[in-house]
Amino acid sequence: MHVLEVLNPVAPQRGSVSTLRLTPRPRSLDNKTVGLVWSGTHGGDVALKRAGEMLQERFKGVRVNFYTGGNYPTPPDVLKKAATESDVVIGATAD
Amino acid sequence: MIEVEKAGKPAIPIVSGRFDGDAVASSRAFGMPDLKWVVVPRIYRNLAIEECVRQTELAIDEIVKQLTSQEQAKPVEPPKIEPLERFEGSDRFDAAQKMNDEFMKRDLGDGFPLHPPTRATVDALLKGTKLPKDHVVCDMPPGFGIATVEKIAVNAALAGARPEHMPVVIAAVKGLSQIGGQGGKSLLMSTSPQAPLLVVNGPIANDLGINARSALGPGRDNQVNIVIGRAFYLCMKNIGYWYPNQMDMDTIGTTRKFVMCIAENEAVSPWAPFHVDQGFKRDDSTVSIFVTDGELDVQDQGNTSAEGLLKNLAYGITFGTYNLQGKGGGGERLILMPPDVAGPIGEHEFSKQAAREFIHRHANISLGKATQYMPLKGEARVAEKWRFLESLTEEQRLQITVPVLQSPEHCYIVVVGADRAKTAVFPSGPAPVTVGIDQYRR
Repeated sequence: MHVLEVLNPVAPQRGSVSTLRLTPRPRSLDNKTVGLVWSGTHGGDVALKRAGEMLQERFKGVRVNFYTGGNYPTPPDVLKKAATESDVVIGATAD
Repeated sequence: MIEVEKAGKPAIPIVSGRFDGDAVASSRAFGMPDLKWVVVPRIYRNLAIEECVRQTELAIDEIVKQLTSQEQAKPVEPPKIEPLERFEGSDRFDAAQKMNDEFMKRDLGDGFPLHPPTRATVDALLKGTKLPKDHVVCDMPPGFGIATVEKIAVNAALAGARPEHMPVVIAAVKGLSQIGGQGGKSLLMSTSPQAPLLVVNGPIANDLGINARSALGPGRDNQVNIVIGRAFYLCMKNIGYWYPNQMDMDTIGTTRKFVMCIAENEAVSPWAPFHVDQGFKRDDSTVSIFVTDGELDVQDQGNTSAEGLLKNLAYGITFGTYNLQGKGGGGERLILMPPDVAGPIGEHEFSKQAAREFIHRHANISLGKATQYMPLKGEARVAEKWRFLESLTEEQRLQITVPVLQSPEHCYIVVVGADRAKTAVFPSGPAPVTVGIDQYRR
């Protein structure tokens, strides 16, 4: 019997050393502002706009804002604006 | 979306198709493993509008649920990484095979047999650098694993590297973290087959026996080229988390991801070597990382004048797509120029910069052809200055020619190769990064 002991090649990720928790969710989307963040890829805009329409149909007083940086990854200033102006945000990785 | 959550607002991405695995890996890499998302079956980009709408409608209940859920999700724990692993076999070879079977199952390798990274092997590799083993070289993209010298050595051991290779591998790991925006993160995760190519300059190339002639193929002559490239690739996987279908999302993939480490054939170049162009001294040893996105052989069947050789090369680089953001451009080109092309060009008193300018001047492309990849209507990635293209006919767009490169500085010439005028051209970008190796040598 031969025992081979080896070192693990996998490194811990920086993101697993300091993790963040999710933001608490609202109970309803009534009267909320929904930010739609488009990465600029074909079809993603269609999907997000349809999602926005459906939320307006389902909930009272929903406002929808559309954001894009024209490409991916979405620039930090666009994400910051979406976060500031919206109550919840939906994005699409439509690649 | 993690940036939005960090700003204190609930956010969910709609994730398409096989990008589910990417979402898991990315949420871990960027520090929010609890992130929620909604999966739709097919990637939106090439779907008809009706299908984009249909699959979104089917996902709306889940979108609402994820945006309004009051459940406190159990925190997602990061995978535990045991420092040591034990494998038992009837003899040493059987145990090594068991290690290979297990590592293959976890996709820790490149598909070829791996060398066991025993404590003794790793310790021997650590002697190849003056850095302490716990020194953090960088957070390695795209997954931002913590690249300690020891983790680099473990992956170098898997590849069968030698201690003297370590400084090159460390410098390459460092270089990758400096490429492009956020360490080239989004590029490495692209569905296009971007892959690194390492180019070594300076005395270490000869010291280590890195081949500068037919440098990119398999076999004995390229053993060092292969082993160093393999060590770097395994670091990308196991430290950078560049795992297929997680953070490497290629549609088809490329053999260029069996990364190679070549040397410039400085001895036969008529010009200063590449690392001198990058601001280093000729006696410095460096490694440069290019991110390539294809490969083309540009053959020459008899030109002897500099102008003839360069025009052939200029026409040869006119392929691919044209970006309509900002000033526009067809990316960059890495030109591995063999001595039989570089020599006559240099002898005819073309400096390297003059050769780059000549190539830029003659490398023009039909804008209609190079933008066919992207329907312009409704496309966000078209700058205002290019919006006029929408109103033109296809024939009119085909008649417009533009320089394929934004400037001469978007092509890089490295002299590599054996006899015969066959140039290798790689679409590439963002700009290469060059890192000094001597700082890591013992």
